[in-house]
Amino acid sequence: MRDTRENPSLRNILISGGTGFVGSAIARAVAEQHPKCTVTVLDRAPPNGTHELPDHVAFIQADVTVPDTLYNVLQQARPEIVIHTAGIVPALSERFGRRLEQLVRKTNIEGTRNMLDAARQAGVKGFVYTSTCCVVTDDMSMPYENIDEQWPIPSSSLIYGESKAAAERIVLEANSSTMATCSLRPSVLCGPGDPQLLPPIHTCISKWETPFIIGDGYNLWDVTYVTNIGDAHVLAAENLISSRTAAGEAFFIQNNEPITFRDFCLAIWAQFGHTPPFEIHIPRCMAYVAGCVYEILTWVSGSSTTLSRGSVGDACSVRYASGDKAKRILGYEARVGIEEAVRLSCEDYARRNGIELPAPVSDKKQQ
Amino acid sequence: MGLIGNVLYYSFHPSELRAIMQWKVWHIPVHQRDEKDETETQKTCFKFLDKTSRSFSAVIKELHPELLLPVCLFYLILRGLDTVEDDTSIPLATKEPLLRDFKDFLEQDGWTFNGNRPEEKDRELLVQFHNVITEFKNLKPAYKEIIRDITDKMGNGMADYARKAEFDDASVMTIEQYDLYCYYVAGLVGEGLTRLFIESELGNPGLLKRDQLHKSMGLFLQKTNIIRDIREDNDDGRRFWPKEIWSKHVNDFDDLFKPENLDIALNCSSEMVLNALEHVEDCLFYLAGLREQSVFNFCAIPQSMAIATLELCFRNPAIFQRNVKITKGDACQLMMESTQNLRLVYQVFRRYARRIHKKNSPKDPNFLKISLVCGRIEKFAETIFPSQSAEEAQRRLTGAATEEEARKAKEEAEARQDVYFIMGLMSVVVLIVALTMTGFAWYMGARFDLAWEELKKGNFRPPQHLREAPGTHQEL
Repeated sequence: MRDTRENPSLRNILISGGTGFVGSAIARAVAEQHPKCTVTVLDRAPPNGTHELPDHVAFIQADVTVPDTLYNVLQQARPEIVIHTAGIVPALSERFGRRLEQLVRKTNIEGTRNMLDAARQAGVKGFVYTSTCCVVTDDMSMPYENIDEQWPIPSSSLIYGESKAAAERIVLEANSSTMATCSLRPSVLCGPGDPQLLPPIHTCISKWETPFIIGDGYNLWDVTYVTNIGDAHVLAAENLISSRTAAGEAFFIQNNEPITFRDFCLAIWAQFGHTPPFEIHIPRCMAYVAGCVYEILTWVSGSSTTLSRGSVGDACSVRYASGDKAKRILGYEARVGIEEAVRLSCEDYARRNGIELPAPVSDKKQQ
Repeated sequence: MGLIGNVLYYSFHPSELRAIMQWKVWHIPVHQRDEKDETETQKTCFKFLDKTSRSFSAVIKELHPELLLPVCLFYLILRGLDTVEDDTSIPLATKEPLLRDFKDFLEQDGWTFNGNRPEEKDRELLVQFHNVITEFKNLKPAYKEIIRDITDKMGNGMADYARKAEFDDASVMTIEQYDLYCYYVAGLVGEGLTRLFIESELGNPGLLKRDQLHKSMGLFLQKTNIIRDIREDNDDGRRFWPKEIWSKHVNDFDDLFKPENLDIALNCSSEMVLNALEHVEDCLFYLAGLREQSVFNFCAIPQSMAIATLELCFRNPAIFQRNVKITKGDACQLMMESTQNLRLVYQVFRRYARRIHKKNSPKDPNFLKISLVCGRIEKFAETIFPSQSAEEAQRRLTGAATEEEARKAKEEAEARQDVYFIMGLMSVVVLIVALTMTGFAWYMGARFDLAWEELKKGNFRPPQHLREAPGTHQEL
């Protein structure tokens, strides 16, 4: 699958946020493709059972918002490459509000600046930043059909997109001849241990929410399987210590298989043996009003809800990007397709939650 | 459907009737065949074209004059070959050399063949094949070479297939064999036509560099036909659906037609549709490489019809019972949309991809694959014809006006100025008229000074006695 050109070998790499969903996937990809590479994982939280780390990985507990500790860690580890994934992704219930703004900005922007400074002082050669497609698409005022990296970054969107965009700008501006930087913008992720995408989709079954289709149901969307993101980071790291054609650049990374949000949900529900018994189309404007009502109810009762104006916007939006630049410069192509991704994610989710999956649909045949 | 049936149908489907009328009335062919200068043999050839194919003859006859005759002859020659192959009454010993040597007959003056069984539909074409040969020999050498080469490849392919049918099992086992079969009967036509387009400089030479593209053009059409004709073919004892696909769903091919297996049969057919849909991106790419309008129409019409047919067959139980067909109204609508520009054809594909998408069922094992291929079609169309550009998005974000918007704003400002000017002019006119009237009244003796005095005293209305009804005056 990987191209035939000689891959430069990575020797010493440090991954911040390395015990998380994305960070651990990157650590696994590095260990798989560069078995001799020293991997240091830095995180606020110690490794846990959810996100598996490869053997022989050094773990250092540190917080990216504390510059001094970072300085010491980097001086000690002396990595050649830093992959900075540490950051806060607000949960769905906080995604559309501003309550966590200070915290998110501090971790995502200040944390990145601290990391860059520490890396520069430690003589790091390449700095790969895990950004997000949300830097562009969190501005929900327009559709994003097949967008590329020339797309402008809105000045205001949601707290997550704004903070990641600001951090990305700092990273790309820090690109220099001594330390090359680049930024990867993955789409929504899925995979084993995924904390944010699959769980709410799965709970729709028990909440009887599956028959409802918000909007026309044709809006295409990018999803990325988590190991593909790991691959992309390895490719970016390799690039920054060899040709450096990716230096100062941002890349959209996804599976390059746009799918409608509705079908993605249907495919997941089908894995759990559920098919909506009927379908009800809810026009977007009506859903928006309903979202508004729910928000008020939530505000009154203090509970959390899946329905809000923001989530209606999310469910109806068109968001898919072109993978051309990542393919051209990094040589990135998704190794795991969406179909397998859905199956693996659901199997993992079922295992962890003690749900028994029905036999795959493809095995059903004439008796 | 009789007259009454038609009347009823179209009164409930007025848009289809409109499409038919629009096509009949408004469609102007890019090029029109000129019968005046045609030789007798040419006329005969076109007569055979009409007889052998109703759908193709219309598009062929509108082709650019440079390609009109070559494509017509190409079609007739392949049809001749097909007529030999289809005829089960011809023994292999006769059939095989006929198929393999068919390319040589093209150069033999007066060659005809009357060994077909009487019920063979296009028997007459081969009986009078000398007409085709006469015209073929007059073609440009480059065109002749292309047609000869394709005839050679196809004849040999058919002969191999006939041999296989005779000595062992000819049924299509693997998807690879299925593709190969479709390549022989349709993919080769795509190759030949592409070479003709490029030779006549009416097509982009790049089309030949990626042979996947023209191959897909033929395969997509052929696979669509194979899906649609499942019932008819099976009744005739022919099976083109590859075992590799149907054996995943049923144990015996005939089980597909049993009513109790309907769900399974539908899943099987949707896997066939998925297999055909994989060619769509290539086809869309190919269409973008055509330069001349008549050539574009010639290629785009069958492709649009195919995607519409595929949509009609997708998860349609009727295909296992009878031959389904797109309605005449839809066909006219598609022809209209396929004879204008690439963007419109892409919209047709997008529309039908979405309809397929809508019919897709999560209970189908290939649900996700079908959904993804529909997404890919949409993404491809979006890549060629982006609905918005990064620059536009930038402008929208910064609020900066485009040239277009600036021009519009300027025009609006001008229009507003005009309105103000006209209103000013009107007030001046009113003022002049008022002044003239007042002046005239003063000249005639109106006492404005008295009126002014009274007004200053606060008497805004005439005094009581002047206001009294005329009746009271009379008594005075």
